[in-house]
Amino acid sequence: GQTTLKTPWDIQVYVVNTNFTLRWNYTGNDSNVAFSAEYRWSEDFETVETEWNELPGCQNVTGTECDFSSAVTEYYDMHHVRVRAERRKEVSPWSDIFEMIPYFIAQIGPPGIELQSTNGIIKIKVSPPEANAVRKMWIAHLRFKYNLVLWENSSNAEFRSLSIFPTHVIDDLAPDTTYCMKVQATLPLDFKEGLFSPVRCIKTTRKVNDLLCATNVSILASNMKFHLHWNNPYKQHVSYNVQYLIGYLKKLHDDYSPKWLNVHGCENITVTQCNFSSIITTTGFYYLRVQAMSESNRSCLSNEVKVNPLITNEIGPPGIKVDISDVLLHIQISPPGGSESEVMRDHYDLSYRILYWKNSSNNEEDIKMKEVKQTIATISDLTPSTLYCVKVQAFSQIYNKSSDYSKEECIQTPGDKILPLIILATFVTALIVVLLVATLLVFALYQAYNKIKYVFFPSCHPPLNIEGFAGQPFIRPYLSTTEEPTEICSIIETVLTEVNHIDFKDYKHSKQSSRDSGNYSNDDDTSGSKASEEKEIV
Amino acid sequence: TMNAFGLTQIGLILLCTTTISSLQCNHLHLQQQKVVKNSLQLLDKMGKKFPQQCLREKMSFRFPEQVLKPRQKETVKVAIEEIFQHIFDIFSKNLTLAAWDEKALEQFQNGLYRQIEQLEACVIKKQTHYFRSKEPSRLKLRKYFQKVDCFLQDKQHNMCSWEISRAEMRRCLQLIDKVMRKL
Repeated sequence: GQTTLKTPWDIQVYVVNTNFTLRWNYTGNDSNVAFSAEYRWSEDFETVETEWNELPGCQNVTGTECDFSSAVTEYYDMHHVRVRAERRKEVSPWSDIFEMIPYFIAQIGPPGIELQSTNGIIKIKVSPPEANAVRKMWIAHLRFKYNLVLWENSSNAEFRSLSIFPTHVIDDLAPDTTYCMKVQATLPLDFKEGLFSPVRCIKTTRKVNDLLCATNVSILASNMKFHLHWNNPYKQHVSYNVQYLIGYLKKLHDDYSPKWLNVHGCENITVTQCNFSSIITTTGFYYLRVQAMSESNRSCLSNEVKVNPLITNEIGPPGIKVDISDVLLHIQISPPGGSESEVMRDHYDLSYRILYWKNSSNNEEDIKMKEVKQTIATISDLTPSTLYCVKVQAFSQIYNKSSDYSKEECIQTPGDKILPLIILATFVTALIVVLLVATLLVFALYQAYNKIKYVFFPSCHPPLNIEGFAGQPFIRPYLSTTEEPTEICSIIETVLTEVNHIDFKDYKHSKQSSRDSGNYSNDDDTSGSKASEEKEIV
Repeated sequence: TMNAFGLTQIGLILLCTTTISSLQCNHLHLQQQKVVKNSLQLLDKMGKKFPQQCLREKMSFRFPEQVLKPRQKETVKVAIEEIFQHIFDIFSKNLTLAAWDEKALEQFQNGLYRQIEQLEACVIKKQTHYFRSKEPSRLKLRKYFQKVDCFLQDKQHNMCSWEISRAEMRRCLQLIDKVMRKL
């Protein structure tokens, strides 16, 4: 009977950069058997509903692998591939579907490598994978991190592995020795390690130790003031040029040699130090080097030093001022850096550690600590009449950096005995003052009361015989009004004996005639009323 | 094909040979926020206002915002790291026709690069046990940057294509800034 063709199995796709290779296994009668493949792809990862298409480059293939690079253009989309065997009109069933997203299974191809050997050092220049490719799997080639493996071309050689920039200089090598190396490109975030470049070997030259070069190049940085120091092993006159390079330029594949710039103020100098704070910003890295120039126009470049400003910089000690009030110790901290303190405060997120202890005891365990974020702190729970000493340190938790401690400042807490005395004295004084004031007040009130009483409620009364005169009691002897008529009273002696003998009329008559008899007359303003009054009086 | 050994090999090699001094990775987040803010300022500083004549050529790139919204904090941080790398790569291309302020551009790149290096060290340290993220949003992120890259290439890196890309990257960084505040 008819035997159906066996199905290919173990479908694999091998991808390097944008080169796609399909591989499969076939067990069975493979005489005159050819293979054809189909594929489909879609943007949606869940379902691939598109039609199957013939896979270009994999039609009627006699071997067990084929190249279908031209078919794939969308490296982030899901692709399905399947293969079957064919012989004349016979076809095998389709193989299992191989699912893939090209980017995930793609391998990073080998980078290019160029070597140069001069003066005992080896200069390596790496070119990225897909350097001149039209279609790229790895679109951002600056994402690559290059891994160099280096060994001496001898038996029992040790392998050295290091991460390098596209342009790298190896200078700690033995002269006149052959070294071999290979480089791979990696994408750490994607967990991808690329294929190694072919191995390249080169021999180092003899190293000419030029005494002209500056040695021991080092950095001292405090409070964002950066100083470069170096040594001059040359006995004769040398002038120096300090140069800097902005850090990220090393990550690029372009040659950064022309991008070194002179540090302003450190050009053609003879001292072996340079203040390069002017070129430093907190945004990124910098590299520094010293160019030494002799009188005979010979020059030499020193080693490079990397500066990561916020990490290289050391925080200086803060300033401290103490003040005391009763049992509270006030500490005023002046942040380190002076003019640069704002920059430091901004980036380091500074906090302060305060140490305080009693100076009387020399025990270390009595040292107490307090951490604050502000520049003002208060310490309570102090014992009176004691000498306390304080010192402060600034620290940055983010950068794990701390400054030196400030100077010690000592201050005495006021005594216990004085305080109650002061309180007592104050109390007594206050009491006396209050009493005095109270007394004065009472006295003043009493006087006022008396005066008022005298004016409005007099204690002396007028005599009885003039009481009730004219029906008017003398209630206001001191107060007189102009409306009230003044009365002038004059007492006239009464002749009692004449009254018996005189007629009523005569009496009146005699009264009228003799003005000297016992009449008292009112001196009125109007004479008319006077006359009438005389008549009335009996 | 990657096997477990290869995975640990990367981790060990890059960990042992990193040239960066050891950092407290927990506090890198604060620095990252500063970098984003700084980068936004520098992006504004390097050029002038968006030129009117370039509005015609404006394209919608559709940044995949979901890449900044996953469940785990770690995956967001890794995504942000990758975005920085892509932006750094884009701004390293031929900028002569853009005619931007050199100093501002240098500071922008330098700041991004420093953050990339530091983040890389921290991410690698933690990722020895980390499983490869096959999230589709990360693929969409790469598609997005591929679109920007192709756009610049098609327009031969002319002034308008640069201005449009700059505006797009600005939008991207602003989204990151917003996300980082919530982290």
